[in-house]
Amino acid sequence: MEELVPVVCPWCSVGCRLYIVSVNGHPRKIEWDYDHPNTPNKGKLCPKGVASYQFTISPDRLKKPLIKRNGKFEEVSWEEAIRYVAQKFKEIIEEHGPEALAFLGSERCSLEDNYVLQKLARALGTNNVEFAGRLCQSSNFVARSKVFGSPAQTNPFEDIVKSKVILVWGYNPAETNPVLFGQYFEKALDNGAKIIVVDPIKTKTAKFADIHLQPYPGTDLAVALAMLNYIIKNELYDRKFVEERTDNFEELAKSVEEYTPEWAEKVSEVPAGMIKRAAELLATGGNATIVLNEGVNQHANGTMTALAIANLIAITGNIGKEGVFSGVIPGAHCGLCAAVPGVNCAQLPGPVPLNEENAKKFSELWGFEVPRKPGLHYQAIFKAMAEGKMKGIFIMGQNPARSLANSSLIEEALEKAFVVVSDIFPTETTKFADVILPAASWYEKTGTVITQNRRVMRSFKAVKPPGEAKPDWEILVMLARELGVGEYFNYSSVDDILREINRAIPALKGATPERLNSNLEGCFYPCPDEKSETPRLFLNGFPTKTGRAQLAPVKWIQPGEVPDEEYPLWLTNFRQVGHFHTGTMSMRSKSLIKRWPEGFLMINPEDAKALGIRDGDRVRVETRRGSLVVRAMVTDRIRKGVVAMPWHWGVNFLTKDDAIDEFSKMPELKAVTCRVTKEVVE
Amino acid sequence: MSKKIFIDFKRCIGCRACEVACEMEHGEARIRVFEFPDLTTIPFNCRHCEKAPCLEVCPTGALYRDQDGAVAFDPLKCIGCLMCAVACPFGVPKIDEVNKIMDKCDLCSERRAEGKLPACVSSCPTEALKFGEINELLWDREGSFVSRLKEARERGEKEPIYLL
Ligand code: SF4
Ligand code: SF4
Ligand code: SF4
Repeated sequence: MEELVPVVCPWCSVGCRLYIVSVNGHPRKIEWDYDHPNTPNKGKLCPKGVASYQFTISPDRLKKPLIKRNGKFEEVSWEEAIRYVAQKFKEIIEEHGPEALAFLGSERCSLEDNYVLQKLARALGTNNVEFAGRLCQSSNFVARSKVFGSPAQTNPFEDIVKSKVILVWGYNPAETNPVLFGQYFEKALDNGAKIIVVDPIKTKTAKFADIHLQPYPGTDLAVALAMLNYIIKNELYDRKFVEERTDNFEELAKSVEEYTPEWAEKVSEVPAGMIKRAAELLATGGNATIVLNEGVNQHANGTMTALAIANLIAITGNIGKEGVFSGVIPGAHCGLCAAVPGVNCAQLPGPVPLNEENAKKFSELWGFEVPRKPGLHYQAIFKAMAEGKMKGIFIMGQNPARSLANSSLIEEALEKAFVVVSDIFPTETTKFADVILPAASWYEKTGTVITQNRRVMRSFKAVKPPGEAKPDWEILVMLARELGVGEYFNYSSVDDILREINRAIPALKGATPERLNSNLEGCFYPCPDEKSETPRLFLNGFPTKTGRAQLAPVKWIQPGEVPDEEYPLWLTNFRQVGHFHTGTMSMRSKSLIKRWPEGFLMINPEDAKALGIRDGDRVRVETRRGSLVVRAMVTDRIRKGVVAMPWHWGVNFLTKDDAIDEFSKMPELKAVTCRVTKEVVE
Repeated sequence: MSKKIFIDFKRCIGCRACEVACEMEHGEARIRVFEFPDLTTIPFNCRHCEKAPCLEVCPTGALYRDQDGAVAFDPLKCIGCLMCAVACPFGVPKIDEVNKIMDKCDLCSERRAEGKLPACVSSCPTEALKFGEINELLWDREGSFVSRLKEARERGEKEPIYLL
């Protein structure tokens, strides 16, 4: 029987709708969804979206539970696998306490999967529950929470089209969110908007830029400080907005007094004149869209940069009204599916901070005592593991062996613990697993997504999972029962879980299964009841103590590493449109891997000449943590002094784990120093 | 006038969604995106020429004009003589090495029969690819230019506007 099943794309956070045409539970093709004009994509899809079911039919799919015995994986029944995991976890809890266990949730799983995961961790007595959001949006999360009282993206995408200025910082939407770029950014440009791009690379987005600033990686902060300085000194800020809707302007002004554009030029090598022009355009050009991404977030000074940018948004009055837009747009489709239900070592579902009051509330709701002690953050879980203190870990749809900074160290850590991985493919992480559980992929289960635009939508099961693979929430419920906490996990469908979420998270109260199942366009979070939604935030004030935005003093923080004689070049990394994260899924999509087949190194012609490197040569890229061999792409799309690689091919062997942002616990993923040498083939 | 796929290079971001969509529909991508070092990206497919040389030289009638005006292709009649490939000024028809016949864009005849847009056009996130009738598209373009002129005037922009 042929069916047209409505789904949400499994890749980035734009949240594109499409259909899977499925025949008896097998995907035959995709069809574009032109039936729901209010969904973000209005039918359109990028290449990953078009190819999105290819990986689900890959022969590599995990189909049976596996237990490692004598170094080899053996197929076992679900009962045996779950019994084994539960017994091991119980032993660990008895001998070392629940804090010797950790759980990793996933931005690739549904809201329901993630809710159940964090609840299980807490039912067992630990707050060691994290997901890759720590490596993604945490810097911006901290900064915007501080200034605006909430980290969320502010306006519907339609408001981007109404903006007159677009500032894109450390972000390349033309490559990472093509539908967003084509449907909203380009249309704003059609309407005459001007675009400022801050990126060391001339990206596909920068091609459209009116002003392109190219700082050294990790020195974006200097540029942001100088823009604040210039706007304040020349009184270009929105006086009315600052007076009526913000606090602490004087403190902020004082903190940036010294950071002149001329100072920033010395640090970042962006000409002072260009910083001034950009600042002027942003402050006086009309309503602005201000978006940023990993080029800002993934730094040991990321929170400070995000804070400076949040201040810029506030003093230019580009928030809390129609026709402006700001926020981050992550590469993974469902970061909010993990962030909102509190897959975080210091937060509970909402997300709300883990404090006595909230812990009590959830203890009452759930019927068991929620542990009060905050857990360890992502990188710290693995540090504890390397030290032998973290004894067991349940990893749901994450590939920390490649996604965390300094992969060699993570691999060593994984050797030391009892590792359970539920995933859809063997990954670099499953190599270190003791038990592998086959999970259903996105199109093989029904679940709720919260796109980064805060749109809550349902995606439906279109395809049968292969072999014995199961949705993650079902796996977790089986495990909970075997661990003796089954009474708190009485779910027989995703709708049961969503109903509990409706009760647990006030802002999701109105996102009921009935509403989402019947209305495919979904609703904007917060949706406090079934009739309402919130397309625009902060229209009547900010959720801060005074109801006004809290401007925050900022200061210069040196990046984690700066070039020296030994490692003279900056190394940064970026995404490609055809790939997703560590490539677990995209590298198994034949239309994608054919077009984006391998990693490479972008190097400026001047640097290449000095090193005797020609286009296409094999080169070794070496940092203090490790080295990789790739082909060189000699191009003036990258500025002198900086080299860059797509991060999908093991780049974290080179990144730095021991420079961590003090506020967000973000490791230095985007700015390290390296040396490049030509590989001589014998 | 027949409907065709028009390409607005300025909008294209080289994402290759069109290629992937075509490949998933036809097994082989019949549209290709060329990328230049300066980031200019040019998607290119059959122009479905009004006076199509490929069609004129095809000795067996394998190439024909369908009811919507597309230069379509009947694989059963093709003898793989490559005449069309030689005649096409753009190098569009390609040989399918396995079946020894030609392969080219037919503007997704099956999709059109169901009232859908060609796959590449359906997908293109930037609307660099447009499916339509040339006069409509040009009329649209004129319209948007003229409305911009009017807007500029209404804003009272000081610079006078000359049409050269
Ligand atoms: S833009 Fe994002 S959500 Fe849309 S199709 Fe592409 S990956 Fe999927
Ligand atoms: S899908 Fe559109 S934007 Fe992407 S490469 Fe093709 S023509 Fe260009
Ligand atoms: S194949 Fe070439 S000659 Fe024939 S219609 Fe297409 S572009 Fe024109």
